[in-house]
Amino acid sequence: MNQIILILKYKLITFFKISSSFTFESLFKNLGSFIVYGAFALGSFVFAQRVIGYLLVNMRLGDFLLHEFISMILFIFFISINVGNIIVSYSTLFKSEEVAYLLTKPIFPTKIFVIKFLDNFFYSSSTLLLILFAVLAGYSVYFDLSLLEFISLIGLNFFPFMFSAASLGVIILMIILKLAERFGVKKILYTIVGGYLTIVFLFFNISSPVDLVNEVFKHYPNVNEYFGNLIPPEMKFLPNYWLSRSLYWISKGEINESIKFFAIQCGVSVFLFSLAVYLGHKWYQKSWFVSLKLRSKMRKMRELDGTKSILTKSFFLSPFNDSLIKKDFLLFIREPSQIVHFIVLMVLIFVFMFSISGVALIAGSNVYLQSIIYLILFIFNALLISTLSLRFVFPLISLEGLASWKIRSAPVGLSKYIRAKLLPFFLIILFISELLAFFTSRDFSINLIFVNILVNFFITTSLVALNFGMGGLFSVYREKNPIRIASSQGASLTFLLCMIYMLFVLIFLFIPVSNYFYSLMINKIESYSYFTSPVIVIILISIVITGLFYQVGYTSLKKDF
Amino acid sequence: MLRIEKLTKSFGDFVAVDSLDLNINKGDLFGFLGPNGAGKTTTIKMITGLYSPTSGSISINGVNAFENPIESKMKIGYIPDQPFLYDKLTGMEFLYFSGGLYNLSKSYLKNKIEALVEDLKIQEWLYKRTEEYSQGMRQRITIASAFLHDPELIVIDEPMVGLDPQSAFIIKNTLKQKVSEGITVLMSTHSLNVVEEICNRVGIIMKGKLIFDNSIEELHRLKEEKNNNLEQLFIQLTSEYESDHSHS
Repeated sequence: MNQIILILKYKLITFFKISSSFTFESLFKNLGSFIVYGAFALGSFVFAQRVIGYLLVNMRLGDFLLHEFISMILFIFFISINVGNIIVSYSTLFKSEEVAYLLTKPIFPTKIFVIKFLDNFFYSSSTLLLILFAVLAGYSVYFDLSLLEFISLIGLNFFPFMFSAASLGVIILMIILKLAERFGVKKILYTIVGGYLTIVFLFFNISSPVDLVNEVFKHYPNVNEYFGNLIPPEMKFLPNYWLSRSLYWISKGEINESIKFFAIQCGVSVFLFSLAVYLGHKWYQKSWFVSLKLRSKMRKMRELDGTKSILTKSFFLSPFNDSLIKKDFLLFIREPSQIVHFIVLMVLIFVFMFSISGVALIAGSNVYLQSIIYLILFIFNALLISTLSLRFVFPLISLEGLASWKIRSAPVGLSKYIRAKLLPFFLIILFISELLAFFTSRDFSINLIFVNILVNFFITTSLVALNFGMGGLFSVYREKNPIRIASSQGASLTFLLCMIYMLFVLIFLFIPVSNYFYSLMINKIESYSYFTSPVIVIILISIVITGLFYQVGYTSLKKDF
Repeated sequence: MLRIEKLTKSFGDFVAVDSLDLNINKGDLFGFLGPNGAGKTTTIKMITGLYSPTSGSISINGVNAFENPIESKMKIGYIPDQPFLYDKLTGMEFLYFSGGLYNLSKSYLKNKIEALVEDLKIQEWLYKRTEEYSQGMRQRITIASAFLHDPELIVIDEPMVGLDPQSAFIIKNTLKQKVSEGITVLMSTHSLNVVEEICNRVGIIMKGKLIFDNSIEELHRLKEEKNNNLEQLFIQLTSEYESDHSHS
């Protein structure tokens, strides 16, 4: 135990020493972070209250449906934390130099396992915890929960929920490595990816939001009743269900009903963590050697393919663009965390696109519901684009790493370099963004689809530029792990800036969208004049943001290397 | 070939390079000596465009490095002290990538790489990812990448650190070969033996200032005059400057 405390202590000392070296740049960054984090937490707090109020009072969604939707969002959270932890844990537990160093010291491997697991969890979940804390505070104020109830929700429900997801992630990783030795990495990975896809598919198939809304609204206006019989029995074994149920009962003032869900959540979390530590104790050191063996096997396989590299083949681009784009492509596909995360995100996006099919039709002639569905879909798209940009564009400059001396000392103009580096990522994200914009608004009128596609173009441009610029400002050339870069302090700040920008777009679109549907309902006329001014403002602000953050990225590349 | 005038680089209050003047002629192999923190790497990083200067100028064959960075970088082949490479690329891929940065065509690169692979003896490592390379192999691949575009000036920072005798031998021979072809080399090093063996001119930098700049013959003459070996002479020269500087 003393060794664990000693190592954690020095990790904290290192963290604070790095953060506390005084320069005006660091002061500016920290002050900026503090303001943005504070503003964001406050914004999330207020936003959560307003959204809940709007859904319950204006839309009369009912407590049951509200908590069912919360449950679905929590399921996505759980899967994201879980998959994220499998990928990050592989890098930090099996590939990190720190682990290699610690393994040479007289420290029991189980302790190293526990330290790195906790390090991962807190490092990559800090922003998520902040968001959840602020949203839950808003929720608690709306439902008038006591401080004790709020603290219990955080400490005994949300925290164990996230901890379970992370523990399960590391358990799955250990099993993957154990089985990979016997059956080969590829077979096991395909099985795991297939398993996750099946789980996500089954979840949305069994608990279809469209069916649920239709069933509940059959009882309208008595939508505040408890429709427990509509919840499929399979869902009752999931942590997101326990969490949403305890929220539901606590919001109803029936704390006794909640306690059993608190107990299950904590019990499962302790069980999963204990199981992870047990497996770590039994398998970690052996798995570490297995991972070395697997990597050496893969090296041999790669060498056979070495002569066929695309970098040696001619292409229609100029030699400069050709070499830079192909280099980035090869580095991307050869970094497992990049390619696995990209596939997972693509799957989630496709699941989302197909699962919302027909959701616009739920609203019927309810103008409020139509506008809110349009806006929710719109903001969800923006959120996905923001996630893609944060995950793949933010780390771009950092990932050049210490090898970027080669580019910086080569006869390469910075603008040309940025174009060649950014354009492929921008085009891919733009394509996904417009695909999302089209699919999610295809049940609305053609003109509304056009507005969505137009605004999405500028949102994508801004978000990509913002992530690129901030990625340059907070570049860490020594960090090779893209996930750690995309979950660093700078990345969290960038994500919050993206959220503020998206909130701004949402606010500007809210009134024209409402007016549009209102005019359609009352006057039976489709009027687009409502959109002109707000869309122009959004375009102008987006252009300013794009220019500003492009410049930030450009300037950061001019800094001494 | 390389003209440095009143070059200064400050990091806050610390002056790393202090009004440095230096001329290196075509075909010189210039040994750039100095203790740790003297300003060697900072000077090199300004020549190669990795640092911007606080003041002063650098011109390479008449091209101002700060006003025309693209043109001047075209003339330089740079080999850093820590040859960090893209871990996930093979040596061959890194060479093609490097050539692309100088707008060299694939057909040109194919022939050029074949020749360099032979000279630097890197054939058996070419198709392995650079993450598997030893320090010596990294250094050799980096050298090959610096020679692809036939630079007029080679800037090499601490080339012998961590090298096995075979790699060191290959690198010394390659540099001598380049100089015989009329290429200019600026080599920063701590290795006095290497300077003695291959350089024709020597400069010693101390606290950002050039305190000695002369031919290797002059250095030998001084060494004999003071009845020292090169190491003792180096320590004597730097200590004298240190004590003069602290007195003033």
